[in-house]
Amino acid sequence: MKTSGTAKWQRNVFIASFTIPTLLFFCIFTIYPVIKALYYSMFDWSGMSDHMDFIGLQNFKDMFRDPIVWQALGNDYFLVAGKVVGIMLLATFFAVALTRFNFKLAGFFRSIFFIPNVISVVVIGVLWNFIYNPQIGFLNAFLSLFTKEPVTITWLGFTSHTIWMLLPPSIWAGIGFYMILLIAAIQNVPESLYEASDLEGSNQWQQFRSITMPLVWEQMKVSILNIMMTTLNGSFVIVWIMTEGGPDNSTQVMGSYLYQMAFRQYHFGFGAAIGVLILATSLVTTVILQRVLRQETIEMS
Amino acid sequence: MNIGIRNPVAKTCFYAVLLIWSFFVLYPLLWTLLDALKNNEQFLRNAPWALPKLPLLWSNFSYVWNKYNFDSYFINSLVITTGSTLLGLLLSASTSYVIGRYPFRGSNALYLFYIASMMVPFVLALIPLFFLLNSLHLINTSIGLILVYASSVLAFGIFVLVGFFRSLPKELEESAVMDGASYYGTFFRIMLPLSQPGLITVAIINVLNIWNEYVVGTILINDPKHYTLPVEIGVMQQEMQYRTEWGPLFAALLFTIVPVLVVYIVFQRKIASGITAGAVK
Repeated sequence: MKTSGTAKWQRNVFIASFTIPTLLFFCIFTIYPVIKALYYSMFDWSGMSDHMDFIGLQNFKDMFRDPIVWQALGNDYFLVAGKVVGIMLLATFFAVALTRFNFKLAGFFRSIFFIPNVISVVVIGVLWNFIYNPQIGFLNAFLSLFTKEPVTITWLGFTSHTIWMLLPPSIWAGIGFYMILLIAAIQNVPESLYEASDLEGSNQWQQFRSITMPLVWEQMKVSILNIMMTTLNGSFVIVWIMTEGGPDNSTQVMGSYLYQMAFRQYHFGFGAAIGVLILATSLVTTVILQRVLRQETIEMS
Repeated sequence: MNIGIRNPVAKTCFYAVLLIWSFFVLYPLLWTLLDALKNNEQFLRNAPWALPKLPLLWSNFSYVWNKYNFDSYFINSLVITTGSTLLGLLLSASTSYVIGRYPFRGSNALYLFYIASMMVPFVLALIPLFFLLNSLHLINTSIGLILVYASSVLAFGIFVLVGFFRSLPKELEESAVMDGASYYGTFFRIMLPLSQPGLITVAIINVLNIWNEYVVGTILINDPKHYTLPVEIGVMQQEMQYRTEWGPLFAALLFTIVPVLVVYIVFQRKIASGITAGAVK
């Protein structure tokens, strides 16, 4: 009885010593800031002094009257939609082509296609800035090959549609990751299913529709949700590097507007409220997308 | 038997698409290298795809390294990436081990708590993190960044490693306990070495993410002495408006890209397995 008591005690000490430090650390540097953000969002606060005015939901009311917030929200969802379509189409195509088409160089292509995902978004933004650069940029120089006069379009300078210019770098940078996910999913599909359909003489497209698509739908759903979440949370970086939200706030996304309001204009309460908006939109969108994307999942034995 | 593509025309078209995309991926990297060897005049006079003129301006690299202090940014990035990866790994592996192999009342709730936290956008925490670190006097310190980065990778690490620890055979542990090893001895001498593949996978993914991280770095570091590489790249590109040094900027990009490319080439398989493990939510 006594010995089992000590054994139990030892086990508990061990469990505590292996879980509590991590939990404390995580609470201090992740959970506490998140909760504190909800708290800050109800204050008018310059961040410069300890003086904070409690204003309740005023920041949120101001937010809904601020046209830039709506612009940012629209841009965020534009990027989500554009990235979901662009990335999913290409990543699915590549994943199928590199698993089901018997290409000899499949492994090589797969390694190459993932490269943009290991490069910092900052670097990608700077590189694409040079592609769009009006004087020395790649795109204008290329177009000039076909015109008499040199082309000098300021690709990132339009007050409307500049957000479109941010789609290609975002899609370019995102494909590899989802391609790897889908390749793994396709490789998990039992080969016998494909063999059976081969005997029936079906072609690649029919196989894709009747076997691959339904069986990797779970992974596709995860991918779409993941694109949505990473875009709402992280589109800030590419925007900040390429346009700083300009011209005239036309490419502002919620993340960049948060950064600008808080760390440039010292409205930390308002910034925190935008953070809460990002949290709310990403949770609501997750729920909605999960509803929309629900489909009979096929159980694999 | 995989039928592949029978129609030769279709096959050629698909091959062409794959080749074109490879070009889209590889060309910007090659272009970065070529442009790093040019001077401003070549940027203005010649087409962007023109090859750099001889003699190649290798001096752009040493210029960035010395004049732009990339030597210290490189070391900062190295120290911060290594420190936060190791700290994150230690903290996530210990908790994962207990959750995976010593379930206790609430262990599942603890696991779900970490998993659920991945749903919360990190930008939300930015403002409070700034003031938290400010009050701890950790703004503009490597330690501050290491702590925040280590915390930010915990949930992912726990997510992958719990599954990994669960998959290890129980007998090894039992025989270690029979031999009188303590819980700690078993963990450090037997289970950790056994779980190396999982630990390396998590570590590599974290190294890539932390090395490339920009937002937190920008907010917590504003003293140039402590910049990391991505933070400096961001600053440098803004300075290009008044000081045009394109060649050196491309050289600076390469200092940031090459280390992660090397890591990627060496650990390709690990990275793929880490992504797959992390996505089976």
